Amino acid sequence: MSTATHCPYCALQCAMTLDAPAPGTFPAAGAGGAAGAGTTAPGVPVVSGREFPTNRGGLCRKGWTSASLLRHPERITEPLLRGADGVHRPISWDEALELVVRNVRSTRAAYGSDAVGVFGGGGLTNEKAYQLGKFARLALGTSRIDYNGRFCMSSAAAAGNRAFGVDRGLPFPVEDLDTAATILLLGSNVAETMPPFVQHLAGARAAGGLLVVDPRRSATADFTANGAGLHLAPAPGTDLALLLGLAHLVIAEGLADTEYIAERTTGYAALARSVAPWWPERTASVTGVPAPMLRDAAARLAAGARGAGTYILTGRGVEQHVDGTDTATAAINLALLLGLPGSANGGYGTLTGQGNGQGGREHGQKADQLPGYRKITDPAARAHMAAVWGVPESSIPGPGLPAVELLASMGAPGGVRMMMVHGANVAVSAPDAGAVVKGLRSLDFLVVCDFFLSETAAEADLVLPVAQWAEEEGTLTNLEGRVIRRRAAITPPPGVRTELWIMAELARLLEAPSMFSAEPETVFEELRLASAGGLADYSGIDYPLLDSGAAAYWPYPVGSTGTPRLFLERFPRPDGRAAFTAVAPGAPAEERFAGATLALATGRLLEHYQSGAQTRRVPELAAAQPEARLVIHPATAAARGITDGAAVDVANARGNVRVRAQLSTGIRPDTVFLPFHYPGLQSANLLTQSATDPISGMPEFKTSTVLVRAADPQEG
Amino acid sequence: MNENAPRVVVVGFGPVAARLVEELLPGVAAGTLAVTVLGAEPEPAYNRVLVADLGVGRTTLDAITLADPTQLRSAGVDVRLGVRVRRVDRASRRVLLADGGTVAYSWLVFATGSAAVVPNLTGLNPDPLADPGLGSAGSGGAVLPAGVAALRDVRDAAVLRSAVDAGARVVVLGGGILGLETALAAAEEGARVTVVHHGSHLMGRSLDKAGGSLLATTLRRRGITVAGNARSTGVELAGPGRSFSALLLDGGSAIDGDLLILSCGVRPRTTLAAGSGLATGRGILVDHELRAHHDPTVFAVGDCAEVRCLDASCLPCRGTTGPSGLIGPGWRQAEFAARALLAEASNAASPAGLPQEKESVILLKARGVDLAAAGTVTADPWDEELPETDVAPVREPLMVSQWSDPGHGRYVKMSTRAGVLEGFVCVGMPRTAAELVLLFERGSELPADRSSLLRLDGPEQLVDTGASSGPTGPEDTVCRCAGVTCGTITDAVESGCGTLPEVSAATRAGTGCGGCHDTIRTLIERHFAPAAA
Repeated sequence: MSTATHCPYCALQCAMTLDAPAPGTFPAAGAGGAAGAGTTAPGVPVVSGREFPTNRGGLCRKGWTSASLLRHPERITEPLLRGADGVHRPISWDEALELVVRNVRSTRAAYGSDAVGVFGGGGLTNEKAYQLGKFARLALGTSRIDYNGRFCMSSAAAAGNRAFGVDRGLPFPVEDLDTAATILLLGSNVAETMPPFVQHLAGARAAGGLLVVDPRRSATADFTANGAGLHLAPAPGTDLALLLGLAHLVIAEGLADTEYIAERTTGYAALARSVAPWWPERTASVTGVPAPMLRDAAARLAAGARGAGTYILTGRGVEQHVDGTDTATAAINLALLLGLPGSANGGYGTLTGQGNGQGGREHGQKADQLPGYRKITDPAARAHMAAVWGVPESSIPGPGLPAVELLASMGAPGGVRMMMVHGANVAVSAPDAGAVVKGLRSLDFLVVCDFFLSETAAEADLVLPVAQWAEEEGTLTNLEGRVIRRRAAITPPPGVRTELWIMAELARLLEAPSMFSAEPETVFEELRLASAGGLADYSGIDYPLLDSGAAAYWPYPVGSTGTPRLFLERFPRPDGRAAFTAVAPGAPAEERFAGATLALATGRLLEHYQSGAQTRRVPELAAAQPEARLVIHPATAAARGITDGAAVDVANARGNVRVRAQLSTGIRPDTVFLPFHYPGLQSANLLTQSATDPISGMPEFKTSTVLVRAADPQEG
Repeated sequence: MNENAPRVVVVGFGPVAARLVEELLPGVAAGTLAVTVLGAEPEPAYNRVLVADLGVGRTTLDAITLADPTQLRSAGVDVRLGVRVRRVDRASRRVLLADGGTVAYSWLVFATGSAAVVPNLTGLNPDPLADPGLGSAGSGGAVLPAGVAALRDVRDAAVLRSAVDAGARVVVLGGGILGLETALAAAEEGARVTVVHHGSHLMGRSLDKAGGSLLATTLRRRGITVAGNARSTGVELAGPGRSFSALLLDGGSAIDGDLLILSCGVRPRTTLAAGSGLATGRGILVDHELRAHHDPTVFAVGDCAEVRCLDASCLPCRGTTGPSGLIGPGWRQAEFAARALLAEASNAASPAGLPQEKESVILLKARGVDLAAAGTVTADPWDEELPETDVAPVREPLMVSQWSDPGHGRYVKMSTRAGVLEGFVCVGMPRTAAELVLLFERGSELPADRSSLLRLDGPEQLVDTGASSGPTGPEDTVCRCAGVTCGTITDAVESGCGTLPEVSAATRAGTGCGGCHDTIRTLIERHFAPAAA
């Protein structure tokens, strides 16, 4: 039996086929170690790449080995209750659900409904994300729901909404990139984070037009070598200035698309004035990117826009800052100056990170949102949802708190006392993780749904075992805004339930109004109605349509055939035009690194996904990247007596991390890099700060100030 | 907005004034203060730094404009353009205008900027006592003959523009940065340019001899005539319009030309302030909170301001050197003054002091010529450092490192103390220059191996370190996406895989981004080639 589905990890959602295992047929078996250990367990399906526009049959190492987690020995298969001794012991589902209900009721009675919080994830299917938002608001009656996408897509989303009136990661099919002459990648290391995507850069590389902005000479920046493009390496925290400098050049040198600006945008005059102070040499003195390289980059952007196309793409590197929304806005401004969005000349997009990072931000697990990408403060949106749900409008709570504030409120006066976590591992992935763990421990009751005892689940009073990706049906929305089907290939282990079932049961026990189904298709049918008329309108999509292989891009209202390319006619703003917003660099989140301190940037490795709760359990991936390594420039290392592979302490007021050093000339001497996939003493987020972007609530992940020294071998 | 709110009157509407007014807008919106800005030029504020680009036709006035009077007026700001200020009457807190009007103020901000210095040359007849006032931004108040201009404002730019368009002969007098930027831009756009300066080398205030000499060589390579050690004495005027025809030099020689650009430095405009009884030095004297001596209702910001407290022992003012003539410090002053005014208008605590300015970095704005310099650059590697008596006895010695390759147009000098730059020169190495600028501005320590900075401009930066050499050992990774080594692929090839799809099927190599396909093909060919031969 063969099941066509998609990879469980990132937003590229590579198409794959899961085949029932047959002895000896696994493709890499015996081929010299490339085979995923653990995949030989009985009953585990065989993964192979499947032809699809995003991945063209390709998979990365994470995808190839993804099935090995389905029957992993560490899988949780029974609800676990933590005893007074701190040890988790199995209990029955009836007991577990009754315990949740009792705690919800007692917390509500003592502290009010907002004392129960919900934390969701960008990996949940559309159905789960939708029903989780509904569950929080109707069954728990709380406004306190947000999700880990706040750490991921919130800045680009806020910028997109502000400029275009809508936020769809790529407002065009990914294949449109194939023929582009110029692609500007800002803070995105796709060679590590979504390798099969790199195929779509081939055209621009051949044209010499791949422009990569990254303070590190990342694997993606290396793709610009040998004449394939330019690597611009601004000092950490200066991306916004770099973009203002490029916009200045486009205007000053007459490279702007004046016809497009006149017909399709508003706010040009103020934007032009705001970038007038950013001539190339001034920009160079702030960013460290030489003025000639800025001129070269501007010229290539303009040449592409007039030729085979220019695309500007942002990633977390420029978005995960306290000025992330403004930086993404500056990238959009540049795209608008060149006449790209909604034209045949190219476009702007943000590369969504998590598997359902797109759908997950549309259907109501955001503190300020209702399904269909509606605003929770919009009376019309509330009335619509009240009608769909069959509840009085007044029973829908108002806006809650964005993720960092929500987590900070755990155990604090007036904050949440009980928390339910779905599809997130905040003990590792949230900024200032040390404070987050303290918050988790201060809760009266913590419930975590997961399939492994993640670092967050380990803190839980109650752990509920849930099904994995290949064990359930559903839909996701990939980085292009295309809705795709996830299909069950095998049955979950006995004792495991789906999150939809858990929500449905709890809603019943809590005597919640409206309807909560355990059936994905039923939930999707309701999501269609809920999203109808919203920005992210799914009303014309159903399972049979998706199963027919149709490419369904939202908005897809009933009676339409969807929208592969947005903005061709107009932008969904009241005046139909895209809006320039003038932005300027503000004060840094933390005292600028100087003297002995260094800037710490956090990021990812090819072998691991997010907090690593899954990939660290895949033997092949764990063997390839068993531990976090601090990437440091040899000159910086030498000055501290640090050699390659030596243990180092990375510290600031928030925490201390001990890892081994990896010397590389591909990083600036004033900067160090640490992947955030690891827990405990290697957890990069012990060092990051909880300062956030005032517009999006995005934390500052990329410039923390740290001290680095050789670890004293006598200690610890 | 509130018409009766206490009023800030800003004299001058250049880039610094524009920033000040913009920062005051929240106060106007809240009704805590009112703002009048008086601009002498008919244009609203524009970026004076880019006037040379405007003069050679590389950019437009629109692209360098920094303020929109219509928008400011609709935000409640009283914007007046083309207005001359006759006098400031501090006793009655009024500004008297040339057209007879008056504007009352609660606070007055001088943002009058600076004017070009007109040198003492026969034929130019400058009045040494004349102050530009606000009459003309460019020519320093002197009436210049036809064919002679400073390059300070839009009108000067128009004069240069017509000369460049006509392919005329342009003589630039002055070897400073502004003169050289003008010379390079005009030459690139087709003018025939001669730079005349009286020093031993170009940019004598910012560069050492080696840097200045290399710069002169670079200019000559770009077709610019450079006349150093040249003392000019006068201008020759000819024709019915008595327009410029030659610059006369000491000793009787002359340099013919159609346009003379004066680039002999700038002087803060202080006449209005001095006329109102305020103390002036090189600029209008203000304390380190930018308020005039003895009159806390008067501020000065930007090029016209000289930050020096009345109290000579004031610590924050130590080491200040008068107006820098650079825009960055001016903008920071404007932001600070705005915060102080907003705070005072709403009876809030005044902001923390103005951050002390580091010595400014010089970056030549030119295409194809890369030059950056900052700080003290006169020391040489083998200099014995002279003991300085005014500092603590224990002091790290000054260390100078340099790289000189004039044949290839490259020169770097780094002067450091305790590893931190006190000054540098960098010619012809843009990446190194950009890095040195950051290191200087941040006061970061340089790598002990200074040569690592030079390598930033090396050719190895342009190639992919991994892929160019190709995998050599069996443990080297070929396919990063799937994590497949050279050895694994070789094994697969040896056990019969003869095509890329076969290797991919057997090992997963090449199934991700596809970047290793060429390498895999090479490994296959390497295995089968001997057999075929």
